[in-house]
Amino acid sequence: MPTRVSSTASPSTELDVAGALLALLRDTSTEPRPDPQLEALTLAVAADLPVLLWGEPGIGKTAALTQLAASLDLPLTTVIASVHEPTDFSGLPIVGDDPSEQGVPMAPPEWAVRLVRAGRGLLFLDELSTAPPAVQAALLRLVLERRVGTLVLPPDVRIVAAANPRSSAADGWELSPPLANRFVHLRWTHDAEVVVRGLGGVWPRATLPRLAPEKLAEAVDVARRAVCGLLTARPALVHRLPSGEALRGGPWPSPRSWEMALRLIAFATAAGVSRDVLSQLVRGVVGDGPGLELLAWLDRMDLPDPELLLADPEGAELPERGDRRQAALEGVVEAVARRPERARWDAAWALLARALESGAPDLVVVPATTLAGLRREDWDVPASIERLAGVVSLSRRADRAGDRVAAAAGAGAGR
Amino acid sequence: MRPDVKEPGLDLEKLYAARLHAVRVRPYLATALFALHTVESRKVPTMAVDRHWRCYVSPAFVDRTPVEELAGVWVHEVTHLLRDHHGRSDRVARERGLTGSGERLRMNIAADCEINDDVFGDGLPRPEGAVHPEMLGLPEGELMEDYLRQFQLGPRTRDAGWLDCGSGADGLERTWDLGADGAEGLSAQEQDAVRFRVAQAITGRPGSTPAGWRRWAEEAFHPPQAWRELLGAAVRSAAYGSGAGDDYSYGRPSRRSASVPGAVLPSLRRSPPRVSVVIDTSGSVSDAELGSALLEVTAISRALGGRRDLVTVLPCDAAARIVHPLCRAEGIPLLGGGGTDLRTGFAAALRARPRPDVLVVLTDGQTPWPAGRPACRTVVGLFPRARRFRSWNEDDPDHVPAGPPEWARVVDIGG
Repeated sequence: MPTRVSSTASPSTELDVAGALLALLRDTSTEPRPDPQLEALTLAVAADLPVLLWGEPGIGKTAALTQLAASLDLPLTTVIASVHEPTDFSGLPIVGDDPSEQGVPMAPPEWAVRLVRAGRGLLFLDELSTAPPAVQAALLRLVLERRVGTLVLPPDVRIVAAANPRSSAADGWELSPPLANRFVHLRWTHDAEVVVRGLGGVWPRATLPRLAPEKLAEAVDVARRAVCGLLTARPALVHRLPSGEALRGGPWPSPRSWEMALRLIAFATAAGVSRDVLSQLVRGVVGDGPGLELLAWLDRMDLPDPELLLADPEGAELPERGDRRQAALEGVVEAVARRPERARWDAAWALLARALESGAPDLVVVPATTLAGLRREDWDVPASIERLAGVVSLSRRADRAGDRVAAAAGAGAGR
Repeated sequence: MRPDVKEPGLDLEKLYAARLHAVRVRPYLATALFALHTVESRKVPTMAVDRHWRCYVSPAFVDRTPVEELAGVWVHEVTHLLRDHHGRSDRVARERGLTGSGERLRMNIAADCEINDDVFGDGLPRPEGAVHPEMLGLPEGELMEDYLRQFQLGPRTRDAGWLDCGSGADGLERTWDLGADGAEGLSAQEQDAVRFRVAQAITGRPGSTPAGWRRWAEEAFHPPQAWRELLGAAVRSAAYGSGAGDDYSYGRPSRRSASVPGAVLPSLRRSPPRVSVVIDTSGSVSDAELGSALLEVTAISRALGGRRDLVTVLPCDAAARIVHPLCRAEGIPLLGGGGTDLRTGFAAALRARPRPDVLVVLTDGQTPWPAGRPACRTVVGLFPRARRFRSWNEDDPDHVPAGPPEWARVVDIGG
């Protein structure tokens, strides 16, 4: 009774209180936080490549798309694929007066017309994997050819699709290899820490990559050198359909996906994003193995040019990290082996001595041994070799340890 | 045991001589060993790694340990990182709800067991007191996750504190850790790149590396897929081929047509796939294997079609013991048994009216196959057979039965 009285007496007040509570719940703030997967998504969308987000339902794919649309200043159109019919994407056949003369036009749905009228937007096709095959087929034409019925989507419309991983849905969908090959596959995961902090009232705000106009030419150059260099060295990687049944529905290397990788490297270079982001993107188009090889190739391109190092050994800047420094030194020794000249040989010794002064000595040992083997009879030992005395004693110490192990093993076997 | 009051400085030459020895006897680990960033720390009992590939070293430990044993510790520590023991520890802790430092100590011990049974020897002496599965009464050659199930902290593990391998081994932050923001750490992508280079070095020369490392290299970036997932993928894509499945058709007008005059709309027709399971066992397949495979197939086809009367099972003789009760319990129609020749099984399955859309054959592969492609899609679930079960012909002892034919999708079913 009292409830009824109060609700009839002041209905607006009740709703106002509820509204106030809702407003309080909505009152959240954001904090800057690097988010590699959102950066990767932004870059792929900027590069105008179709993206397929693989993620469990309910982990914030839609929220991420909302943020992306806001930051790119594009209106977001979400289409839940599984509740639509194929004609919603391929167009409705309209029977006119004289079909045999004029044909049957395929009328586009209203959302597509609005999108074309706006001229720009972000189209998000959700729940791709639970839609029936005919809907998926119609959708793929939309994603790949950008056509809805007779309408062609303007170039400023970007498309992102989302699907649930096959393992999590028994009625999930298998991508056929040619289709899988056209997408940038991104795995979408949630970070428990981010979710907890978000529910506590502070959501992350990712700083999105911006392309630097002055870096464009350089970016194209880097991308072309990386992809062409790798594929020249490893022609087997140009086209390789995975042997495993389940791997074919994911990213795999083909001329098409290498072209996508090239575009993504150029965008990543121009935007100056981290290698982690680039790694997700490259592995998302050509697969893990070839993607990692491409990244290793990029790493090697980052190493200082051996010829530059040999030209100025005393002023040379060597990489700090041990494995990269060793790779740089081995590159130098290889360069000397390719064109053995007295001056280059001396310069390489000076370089090794410099490496010894500024870093761990053990990684100088192998290059030094190789370099010593390159000596010609009429070449005198350079003065800088004195500075390498530490390497010799280190190497001897390791030799002795090896001898001790061998002796112990021999004694053990003799017993 | 407290270190002496007079603490020595870190003998870097000895430490690096040990690393050089390690690189010489384990050349495939060179990249990883050189990528470690050395940090002198007096809080570490011996040597320890963190998840950012820093290696903390106690000067006193280096001082009292022979070079060859130090080399073993280098390899041991880098192995924790290569095999992602910290990430796996975190996952295990989450999955099994393991909390507390005692559990983390168990993870460290289990990880040590996984490493120590194949990392030492062949130039690297096993350090005194290093944990070995044998000491806990466990078999060799298992993974950390398996060891973790098999022992508890107790008298046997009392001396296992030989190495506190740090957060890189068990995921628990230590007081000496420099953390994510500290200098010289490796990013996730850089760690992957190092792992990839090591895996490539191992697969490049498979003859000289221990089996444990070869297995790691093969699985580092392509973990083997569970057969359930593969079988599901094969059955689903076979069932979703044309002529089967839940799809739109123009065969009958849609009910929505009334609201769109002049347009022809397709309607959703449900034509679930009919699945026939042919079971050939020749007496050598275990009931458990067969039962789980059969249940898997029925579960998948039920998810596709929703009706169990569409699944039929056709046993070949010996399987009756397990197949009959299973079919009764699941309400699956049972066709009459055929001979032990799989070809009669194929023929019988295809004779059925209406004809099946998908044929799933569960077999150990020791059988003649039909000469031609059957009229429906075929998925073969292949049980692995040990050599002694192979059929053997007195007149032709070298005879190897032909594998499944090209036109079938083959999934290896094991464990």
